[in-house]
Amino acid sequence: MQKKLEKFLMPLAAKLGNNVVLRSLRDGFLIITPLIIVTSVFLLIGNFPIPGWTEFWTKIFGSQFLEWFSAVSNAVFSFTGILASLAIAYAYGKNRGLNPIHAGFVSLISFLILTPTVVKVGKQSISAIQLQFLGANGIFLGIIIALISVEIYRFAVKKHWTIKMPDGVPPAVSQSFDALIPSGLVILFFFLVRIMFSISPFQTAYNFIYTVLQSPLKHVGISLPSALLYNFLASFFWFFGINGPTITNSVWQPIFFVATQDNLKAFQDHTTLPHVFNQPFIDIFTTYGGGGSTLALLIVVFLVCKSKRIKELGKLAILPGIFGINEPVIFGLPIVLNPIIVIPFIICPVLNTLISGIAMQIGLVAKTTGVLLPWTTPPIISGWLATGSWTGSALQIVELALNILIYYPFVKMLDKQYLADEKKTMEDDLDIDFSEV
Amino acid sequence: MKVIIILDQIQAGLGGKEKSDTPLGGKKIAMGSSENIEKLLEKHDSKIIGTFYCGTDYYQDNKAVVQRKFVKMAEKMGADVVITGPSFDYHDFSQMALELAEKYEEANVPVISAIAKEKNQDLIDQYREKLLIVKMPKKGGSGLSEALDNLVTGCLLLANKRDTSQFKQDYCY
Repeated sequence: MQKKLEKFLMPLAAKLGNNVVLRSLRDGFLIITPLIIVTSVFLLIGNFPIPGWTEFWTKIFGSQFLEWFSAVSNAVFSFTGILASLAIAYAYGKNRGLNPIHAGFVSLISFLILTPTVVKVGKQSISAIQLQFLGANGIFLGIIIALISVEIYRFAVKKHWTIKMPDGVPPAVSQSFDALIPSGLVILFFFLVRIMFSISPFQTAYNFIYTVLQSPLKHVGISLPSALLYNFLASFFWFFGINGPTITNSVWQPIFFVATQDNLKAFQDHTTLPHVFNQPFIDIFTTYGGGGSTLALLIVVFLVCKSKRIKELGKLAILPGIFGINEPVIFGLPIVLNPIIVIPFIICPVLNTLISGIAMQIGLVAKTTGVLLPWTTPPIISGWLATGSWTGSALQIVELALNILIYYPFVKMLDKQYLADEKKTMEDDLDIDFSEV
Repeated sequence: MKVIIILDQIQAGLGGKEKSDTPLGGKKIAMGSSENIEKLLEKHDSKIIGTFYCGTDYYQDNKAVVQRKFVKMAEKMGADVVITGPSFDYHDFSQMALELAEKYEEANVPVISAIAKEKNQDLIDQYREKLLIVKMPKKGGSGLSEALDNLVTGCLLLANKRDTSQFKQDYCY
């Protein structure tokens, strides 16, 4: 059974993991993620989840207090579409063997070509760019522009449609000339695209992509079934030793990214949070201590196991586990290729997704604000910071306890088996004494 | 067939990177990730008679002692085959695995290793001629169980003193 599944899954996993487009999306989002975490911290300080916090500081510093902090967070949150386009084009260009900075800039310019630059204020028209075109709603457009512009650029480079400089010309100069024709081709293409949309009923590429792609995809992707499938697959792949989230993230990341940004925007504007399912939801309310919710496993080990080997592992792995690092237990127990432990390893994240999802949908627990926390933030603290409410921590405690109960019988089974092995090899001479040699 | 396996602290289940200073040691059972190899060996009436472990930093600082003790102990325990690894794409561990394998080779103890090509190309270039190094995926990569199957096949060939040239061509670097 396992062999058969592997035969079917391996090529799929390898394809998804190695696909250059998906890999570039992943790499591109990784470029902007640290910026989002840092600016999230600013947003969080301005709106720290303690009653009266903002009011207190506003009294001291005046009404500009919140503005100071939102100036920083806006610098990223209001521009995620255009930033994603730049970063993804950079990564895609690099993975395609092009000069990555040229690839990034050509995509940035293409994005701006398609962006409306005239805003009507009353009867007057002024030159300005509305932030809505550059932010989260423009992410899918940004991705598409990045991929297309780099592909066109690459086509021209591959055909050697470049202006060759004589030897002795400094490389920076010759590279700049190399980029001339490929860039021209990309710009010509988006010039025509802009004209095409301006005479269509959609008027802008932004409207078109948002209506036919981003909005429907969000509808399907930001849902309970989608989050359940995500977490099932992420754990299931680990069983075969494959890093599941790297596979699933390449498919889900754009959707979760958009959902996270939507919530952040609403949080900053103090309006209703639109989505339950987003990146912080997945990171903070579905697994504890790393993939498979292995912190629960370690707590069981710590509390009840008798086998020397497992106990030792528990002692060593619990501290990193609290901070979400589970490499020692994935390989040390091991979980990889272990048919017993894989059962709770899959059940826990899926069940947590279900419980957290429903609890937030019916309003029992506060939704995540979209604030991205460093992934090493321990549970209970992370639940509070991510939702701004104690209900987030309470949910985490309940789920962690539930996960402990689920892991218990399986870990006990493993413990018994290891204990029997250890008994067979007389307990006292289990250790190999290297002082003998 | 009696097998001894050599692991670093992570694969032996003795903690993460922060425990790289773990001194050499061993147990007469399959520790940590070698549980998976033990299961495959059982199908061939074989077993792991000892896991030798050593933190990668400790090894770096005490190479001569670790190499001497690991070789002597494997000889004393009468191992038919020594496995150094599997070490995935962990570079420090892969280096330790191959350097130890070289020492076993010199002492005429049959030895086999398994490392991933990611991050380890320098080691592969250096050791591919003289050692039997089974191809395996990086940490979190696909094809792990197949690689472990191949590793066990290699052990059986070595223990039974069969020719390994075809095996090397098919499954090794």
